Amino acid sequence: MSMENKVLSLRNVTMRYGVKTVLNGVNLEVERGQIIGYIGPNGAGKSTTVKIMLGLIKNYKGQVEIFGQDIASGDPSYKKRIGYVPEQAELYDNLTAMEYLAFTGELYGLNRKFAEEKAQKLMEEFDLGHVLHSRISSFSKGMKQKVLIISSLLHNPDLLFFDEPLSGLDANSMMVIREMLAQLAAQGKTIFYSSHIMDIVEKISNRIVLLVNGVVVADGSFEELQEKSEEGSLSGIFNQLTGFTDHASRAARFISIVEGGTDNE
Amino acid sequence: MNEFRTLSFLSRFKWLFVKAGIDYSAMETILRMKLTMDGRRTPTIFTGQKKKEGNQFLKSLWIYGLYGLMIIPFMLFGDGHYIFQMSIVFGIIMFILATTMVSDFSTVLLDIRDKTVLQTKPASSRTVNTAKLIHILIYMFFITGSFIAIPLVIGLFNNGIVFTFVFLAALILTMFFVVVFTSLMYFAVLRFFDGERLKDMINYVQIILSIGVIIGYQIVIRAFNFADLELAYTFNWWHVFLPPMWFGAAFELLLNQDFATPSILLSALALVIPIISIYIYVKLMPSFERNMDKLMSESKSRKRSGRLMDFWAKVCCRNREERMFFRFASLMMKQERNFKLRVYPALGFAFIFPFIFIFTELQMRTLEDISTGSMFLLIYFGNMMIPTIIHTLQFSDSYKGSWLFMASPIQQPESAYSGTLKAFLVKLYVPVFLLLSIAFIAIFSTRILPDLFAVLLGAILHTLITYKWMDAGEFPFTQSFEFAQSEGSAKMFLISLGAGIFVIAHLIANAVVGGIYVYIVLLLIAIFIGWRRVFPMQSGEVR
Repeated sequence: MSMENKVLSLRNVTMRYGVKTVLNGVNLEVERGQIIGYIGPNGAGKSTTVKIMLGLIKNYKGQVEIFGQDIASGDPSYKKRIGYVPEQAELYDNLTAMEYLAFTGELYGLNRKFAEEKAQKLMEEFDLGHVLHSRISSFSKGMKQKVLIISSLLHNPDLLFFDEPLSGLDANSMMVIREMLAQLAAQGKTIFYSSHIMDIVEKISNRIVLLVNGVVVADGSFEELQEKSEEGSLSGIFNQLTGFTDHASRAARFISIVEGGTDNE
Repeated sequence: MNEFRTLSFLSRFKWLFVKAGIDYSAMETILRMKLTMDGRRTPTIFTGQKKKEGNQFLKSLWIYGLYGLMIIPFMLFGDGHYIFQMSIVFGIIMFILATTMVSDFSTVLLDIRDKTVLQTKPASSRTVNTAKLIHILIYMFFITGSFIAIPLVIGLFNNGIVFTFVFLAALILTMFFVVVFTSLMYFAVLRFFDGERLKDMINYVQIILSIGVIIGYQIVIRAFNFADLELAYTFNWWHVFLPPMWFGAAFELLLNQDFATPSILLSALALVIPIISIYIYVKLMPSFERNMDKLMSESKSRKRSGRLMDFWAKVCCRNREERMFFRFASLMMKQERNFKLRVYPALGFAFIFPFIFIFTELQMRTLEDISTGSMFLLIYFGNMMIPTIIHTLQFSDSYKGSWLFMASPIQQPESAYSGTLKAFLVKLYVPVFLLLSIAFIAIFSTRILPDLFAVLLGAILHTLITYKWMDAGEFPFTQSFEFAQSEGSAKMFLISLGAGIFVIAHLIANAVVGGIYVYIVLLLIAIFIGWRRVFPMQSGEVR
């Protein structure tokens, strides 16, 4: 049943903002149960790819299929099986956590009572039971992040897009999320994980996709990438593949500016 | 960065600050940065206008000059009864200063960024706090200055030089009193409540300011009538709690040589209380800073049942998605402060304007006379707010959260605005309309019931037409307030006048016996067909 196993496929996806080409023919096939570490330097087009798959950006070229359905067909039903945590913790933060979660649950087609009960239980698991009825605007970055993670999971989706989901979380919560992702994948959920923190991507993902200047330049498991590039860590591989080798000399120049010169006053 | 004349003026007093142990150059740097930032802010009285270049604050001062004109009558027609006229004058001054302080300088007073930006730098907290106080006082000087300049000149010619000096001294005391008192009030609120509650209170003060200025204007126009009344002053114990009376009494004491005990007591308060409150302020400042942390911490929980909302959502909406947006919009309208700041004043006017016209009418006719006519059509003034509010529904401070609508599987995007408009009608329009109706039935008797019903239906149709003409995006609350002024203001004004068309239609209907019922039926049909046309949705449960 290879058809059923294929969760998403991108074929020659191109995206342009004016004259700037953000994605330059991205090809990608993802199967059930994979955790994809989607990495790349700033501006490589990671978020754009995710936004295209979510239907946030519509004027791309190429074909995007999710659960075997071409998303350009206009039927938004496929989104019911997707959960999304955006990069910036942006939400309607004048609502309380409960109000926001109930609303998102409803948007994904859940019954409100059901969504509220589930939200309450999940909030309590994150030690946020006491702020369930507080405005999100008064939350810290980490708390907002937890609310977003909960809102992405309420409807028990099959495909998750997590864009820098651990930002602002403390070490303990990070462990919980990491473990959670592993267990979700074991149950056949697919996770699309973008981050700049290479150590975590290295440990979490069973497949790594590196995007540079809108093109996939590396695709495979960490071990496969290691063999190819002869670098020990993922950040080493990252530096090598993005062609960034002058970090030492840059740092040296930076320091010399910090220490140099005199204040003529 | 700009050079500020204010700062070069301030530098003449450098020795004073240095003597008080303040790092003057650090304070100057902080003030320069603050003044630059303020130049990019729009004051509350200006929220209704387009964004412009330049220092918005300085450009807004003429408005205060205009407000200042309204205290002139009190200075002219008093026949030396200073306790009355000056109490009123200082009452107005205090109202304007206090509300401006709360609405426009709360951000300065409660700026939590100060903590991370300034207190981590090598500047003493005394320097930072003085900079903060000076910063606010600079503005209070500007505002008070432009507010009082013309009245002061008139006072000089009309009441003499001594009066002017007493006036100036009293003004300075008032200013200190207002600034310090407001801060102490914040302190008290933060001490006992959380930051969210304080933000709510500031929000309501901003709303009251917007409404108060308009109503105050209306009242002052009519105040000429009682300004020349002869009254004898009798002291009551509770006058002690009215700060404007202190200053009024000071004029009485110094200019009329009234050495009665009440006058001396009240005048003493005018001098002593501001000084004491500054002392308390300085003492409490450190613990105020500590309590400011509350602004950053999470607020206390408050759960609402929302059962009434469920009921209305069930009654008004045709499908699940529409109900969902009905609830969402209701919550947003209730909890978004910036929305309330823009919309509640409009609601206030909608409620008050009909009465202002009736009161104006009352000066010429009796209430019985009015109650038999068609004056109840003034209730249409309430409908003029509809376009403004619907226009505002497009915006939100947290508009960036709108990715949610795009990312979620919404089957019928039409349900979003349909639910939102219904929430507006049920949650904002109908309460105001009901209050107005009760008052109008009291005046005009129950004979106007069918008319009122027609007005309500007119409002619904007006809402629909506004939405259609406005050409909004697919979902509400998805744009930044930055753009709220940029487009459509003229369009909105035109649609507001659309209320006039409904008035004409109503008048025509009333010209014929029973015509109002035909009009009601026509409106019902128009709403029924129109709503379905504008929002073509499947009803019932959609999968």
